Amino acid sequence: MNVLGELALWIALPVALLGTVLGFVAGRHQRGDLQLGAERSVYAVFGLTILASAGIISNFLNDRFEYLYTASYSNRELDVFYKVAGLWSGQRGSLLFWLLFLMLFSSICVWTNRNKNREFMPYVVGILGAVASFFLTILLFADVNPYEKLGFTPANGQGLNPQLQSYWMTIHPPMLYMGFTSFTVPFAFAIAALVSGRLDSRWIEVTRRWILLSWFFLAIGIVLGMRWAYEELGWGGYWFWDPVENASLLPWLSATAFLHSIQIQESRGMLRVWNMFLVILTFTLTIFATFLTRSGLIESVHSFAQELKIAYIFLSFLFVIVASGAVLILWRLPELKSDNQIESFLSREAAFLFNNLMLLGVLFAVLWGTLFPLISEGLTGEKISVGPPFFNRVNIPIGLILLALTGVGPVIAWRRASKQNIKKSFTVPVGVGLAVAGGLFAIGVRHGYALATFGISSFVMAVIVIEFFKGTRARARIENENWAIAFAHLIARNRRRWGGYVVHAGVVVMFSGIAGSSFNVNIRQTLEPGESAVIPSPLGHEYKLTYEGMSTTSATASNSNNNFAFQLVALLRVENDGKQLPTLTTEKRGYIAQDQPTTEVGIRSSFLEDLYVILSDVADLRSAIMNEPDAQTATFTFMVNPLVGWIWYGGMTVALGGLIGLWPSVSGAPVRAPVLSSARTREPVPVGAAGD
Amino acid sequence: MAKNGRFLVSLVGVAAVVTYLIWTGVSQTMQYYMTPSELVAKTIVDPSFHRVGVKVGGRIVSGSYLKGDGFHGFTVEDPEQLNVTVPVEYRGDLPDTFNDRPEMIVDAVMEGRFRTDGVFEATTVLTKCGSRYEASPEALKAG
Repeated sequence: MNVLGELALWIALPVALLGTVLGFVAGRHQRGDLQLGAERSVYAVFGLTILASAGIISNFLNDRFEYLYTASYSNRELDVFYKVAGLWSGQRGSLLFWLLFLMLFSSICVWTNRNKNREFMPYVVGILGAVASFFLTILLFADVNPYEKLGFTPANGQGLNPQLQSYWMTIHPPMLYMGFTSFTVPFAFAIAALVSGRLDSRWIEVTRRWILLSWFFLAIGIVLGMRWAYEELGWGGYWFWDPVENASLLPWLSATAFLHSIQIQESRGMLRVWNMFLVILTFTLTIFATFLTRSGLIESVHSFAQELKIAYIFLSFLFVIVASGAVLILWRLPELKSDNQIESFLSREAAFLFNNLMLLGVLFAVLWGTLFPLISEGLTGEKISVGPPFFNRVNIPIGLILLALTGVGPVIAWRRASKQNIKKSFTVPVGVGLAVAGGLFAIGVRHGYALATFGISSFVMAVIVIEFFKGTRARARIENENWAIAFAHLIARNRRRWGGYVVHAGVVVMFSGIAGSSFNVNIRQTLEPGESAVIPSPLGHEYKLTYEGMSTTSATASNSNNNFAFQLVALLRVENDGKQLPTLTTEKRGYIAQDQPTTEVGIRSSFLEDLYVILSDVADLRSAIMNEPDAQTATFTFMVNPLVGWIWYGGMTVALGGLIGLWPSVSGAPVRAPVLSSARTREPVPVGAAGD
Repeated sequence: MAKNGRFLVSLVGVAAVVTYLIWTGVSQTMQYYMTPSELVAKTIVDPSFHRVGVKVGGRIVSGSYLKGDGFHGFTVEDPEQLNVTVPVEYRGDLPDTFNDRPEMIVDAVMEGRFRTDGVFEATTVLTKCGSRYEASPEALKAG
């Protein structure tokens, strides 16, 4: 299996290159026979990549530590679950995993389009083959081959970093990779449109669901990463503006902008150049994100010589994408003219355009902040970095404007909103927003950004609820249905629109959850068994946590995970204003093959706040593990994190909205794009505005 | 056309505001990011550097960890200039990936202040395992 797997990689590269050439030649000379060959090469590379991936997994399952990659990320005792996940535990395997998803989506794209969109497909296949060739080149020639041998066989592997032994961390990378790789399809169609000269909105109609799919996976991947950081990293936060986190956020931001701006092109025939720019930008950022997370360029303190090769190959590829994209757009510029112009600031077009600008503003700020150490070093020779304060300072005000636009964009009329339209749409929501902000101020909330966030969130939520209410009521009357059925039919009839509202609602809830962190409480205290800590909640009540001592399980017998060396559990009795709550535990864990213990936090979640306890320090760890009674002194960090749960509820709502939007393509129903889009514009805007 | 012109102006306005936010954001939150040898050299030339907060990235010297009274102590070195080391004091929680075992290469990125007594007082410590957690062949041979 392992020999076959490595061989598969070597065969895949020429096949992918051949497919690329065949695709472009087939497109240029209208040769159906060559096109068939090109499409078959995509399936062939997919098959070969499956073989290569299976080989890696079998290396993990069979403890083949003669391979550097297996030895670095596994040991005999590792859970089978994490051995399978070994395919994406480290850089080498991840790059192969990336390719696996790319080929999966490429094959789905080729298969679903085997009888249609023939004007695009040769070039689409050519582009997909080119991207695959690039990743195969990296795998084979940039010193990151997951099949590299050590030259000797260690007795056991190094084991997997305990922090990666988490359910969240196992599903988070696949989600992100699916998001990254599936965006290759819209990109390939955009380039095919530019090359073939079919520059109407057809390429967008064809790839709309791919765009949403990619966006959907990215969103889920990012939220899962936050969740992992919150549970596993043990410092009470979920986002640190780390280069790796930022890397995943960048393509999501531009994909979000793109998802909105294509609606303007579809409805009004505008922003054609802009959309081309955004699709190329987003694809570039997916590659850039992979580069940033998988090359260690920014995060490493010093440059590692062996990483230069992969950096150069990645940078050359990025350069080729950007340069060829720019040349193609310039070449087709005369044919990409807008059908219409923006008529008024008070229009949906304008709101969407501002939304795009704000998103790109955030994107630019994040990119700038992430790359700043490199930029400053290049310009002045001194490395200067910016941290979370920079990102918060810049992104919170822009984020609040974006949040407000979330409420304005979907209901303001196309072309030009009348005074009546604005008054009718926004009077009640603005009132709700002001009332909430005023109410919070009255009960003593003084944090400016938090007040603004809660106020604007309430405004947007009111807009969405009113939209759903009016839509349902109208349908219930016209179709004479009861409200529940009318509500379901309403969503089913225009999933894109109502799914979008659900996503917006989720985003609003997430924003409020993030704003909650302005009121976090953080207290560090050293306790002896029997002693208590009193932790005030910002909601007015008081937690009393009594430390009851530690218990250890030093052997592996009591636990199904035979990778544990010991588990040291601190017990805390919790009272909330005198009322007894379930006991909380927080742990230090030792893993075989990792001598540094890891910390497991204790979290008690409720709708409004989380009580978060970290076993920060054990005075005498060795004696504590031996259960010695006088070695029980422990230092805890107690945190109260208000509204943090809303981030996860909001994230789930976003995912639900995404699913609503995606549903038709999942069930295989035909996409009737023209009908849909004309229905959109003809649909009476519920507020009785001057829609066309 | 006039309307489009007005629109363009407002777009430029938005871009200007974003640029302003980024500009002031950088100038008010920026920190020098130095290696231990750069830090030592810089403070010799300009002693006022002892007072500003800086970010330092260095490699944890194996076996250098010691537990002080209420603080963690360890030493970092410059992988490119091994003779320069800086002792560090830190009062927070060390990350789980912190390690001073000889066969592990762990880099630490610390924010804090370089005191005049030559000790770096860290307010945050992040660890980055060399080559992204990948073990070196020597380490595997030893294990």
